[in-house]
Amino acid sequence: MKRAVLLLLLFASVTVSTVAQTRTHQEGTIVRMRMAECIGAQHGWMAAMSGSGRVQTGELCPEYVLVTEKVVYLIVGKSSDQLIPLAEYTKYHLQKNELLIRVDDARHESRFHIKEMVLRAEWDRAHQRAEEEEAAQPSRQHLGPALLTNSR
Amino acid sequence: MGVSLTNRRAWTLPLVFLTACGLALGNPGDAPESTYHTTVAEVQLTFSATDQNDHGIATLQAGDFAIVDTDRIVRHPRSFQRAEFTRLELVILVDASGSIRTQLPREIANVTWFVNQTQGVPEENFSIVSFQRQRPTLACAGNCRTGHASGQLPARPEGLTPLYDSVVFAVDLLAQRADAHARKVLILLSDGEDTISQHAAADALQAAMANEIQIYAVATASSSSGGESVLRRFANATGGRYYTVDDAGKVLNAVLEDFHATYTVTYQLPSRAAGYHNVRILPTHNLNLTFRCQGGYYYPGTVR
Repeated sequence: MKRAVLLLLLFASVTVSTVAQTRTHQEGTIVRMRMAECIGAQHGWMAAMSGSGRVQTGELCPEYVLVTEKVVYLIVGKSSDQLIPLAEYTKYHLQKNELLIRVDDARHESRFHIKEMVLRAEWDRAHQRAEEEEAAQPSRQHLGPALLTNSR
Repeated sequence: MGVSLTNRRAWTLPLVFLTACGLALGNPGDAPESTYHTTVAEVQLTFSATDQNDHGIATLQAGDFAIVDTDRIVRHPRSFQRAEFTRLELVILVDASGSIRTQLPREIANVTWFVNQTQGVPEENFSIVSFQRQRPTLACAGNCRTGHASGQLPARPEGLTPLYDSVVFAVDLLAQRADAHARKVLILLSDGEDTISQHAAADALQAAMANEIQIYAVATASSSSGGESVLRRFANATGGRYYTVDDAGKVLNAVLEDFHATYTVTYQLPSRAAGYHNVRILPTHNLNLTFRCQGGYYYPGTVR
């Protein structure tokens, strides 16, 4: 009997520990934000992966690029006013194909569709290439002294 | 924004600074062996900050907000300080055209109330303009209290509606009257409809943004042709606010709260992509904070 209780307790603690681990928040940084087409409820990343396509609602929702240690997420809010604080570090965790971001000192979490996922290394390379291309663009317009003079 | 721009260069003036630094190395008198040129584009933005109770925040810190420029997030501005405005320069623009119909007496009552409630604004910094038929008319400038401005407004609404021309007229008036230390504010009472202007809505908006004028728009009557969205666009794009006629009494309080919580921030141009850069300011911690600034600026392209 005693052994059974111990086994039960052990099982319960392992279960609790596993659940706690899956809910452990990770950290990332939001580096981009724009308003983009909202994605319908069942048409997030999983739907895209399964080939069922996305249904766009015509509304605009906030879209963020969240850079984490190994993965870069492109996430989209579920409504136009689903803004999150743009702090230096953002705490999040994954749950059922969604990314939950901690808002307001952990009293509230905001759910986002995952639109795209890219490996961090791959994203870094693409990002660096884009920056180099932008820097290498030939001069198209020289702003004359009038602009400098008129500036405050 | 969805604003078409015709004279794009003017948009850049208040917002984008370009600092070209030529650095010559070597001893004085020697011909320089190497010359380094760097060009740094910097954006300057003026904004106001309020809390959930619409009260201005006088103690904002640089870490309380981030700038979203197009889609890039800027968290570390180059400089951040209280704006150096010491006074308000105020123009009230009153729609007295035929489309206002029965709303004109209410508009005039609002103007009278504004005049009485703005005792903190010196009389010389206060003007009223009305518009009907084909052009705007200056009701008073610098003597609106002593001159009984409301008595100089049209007694009855009539004629077509030159709204956009009148906004341009009021912007020019504000630009002429204000100096660098004055925060320029336009309170617009209208239904947002325009029927005869030579200028387009984008021209009026461009003029206001180029002169860093905030528009506080009050929709005095419902419009059948999307006038309310025009008023909203004017307000949002210039860092002002939009109110319905029932909330007209809140306008002055909002103007004053915004004025007392105005800041200036500069940051390095995050992207050299030519074209219109949308700008918004968002909180980094407290989502109850609201920041109001111009909706963007035009960057003409890569700088040599």
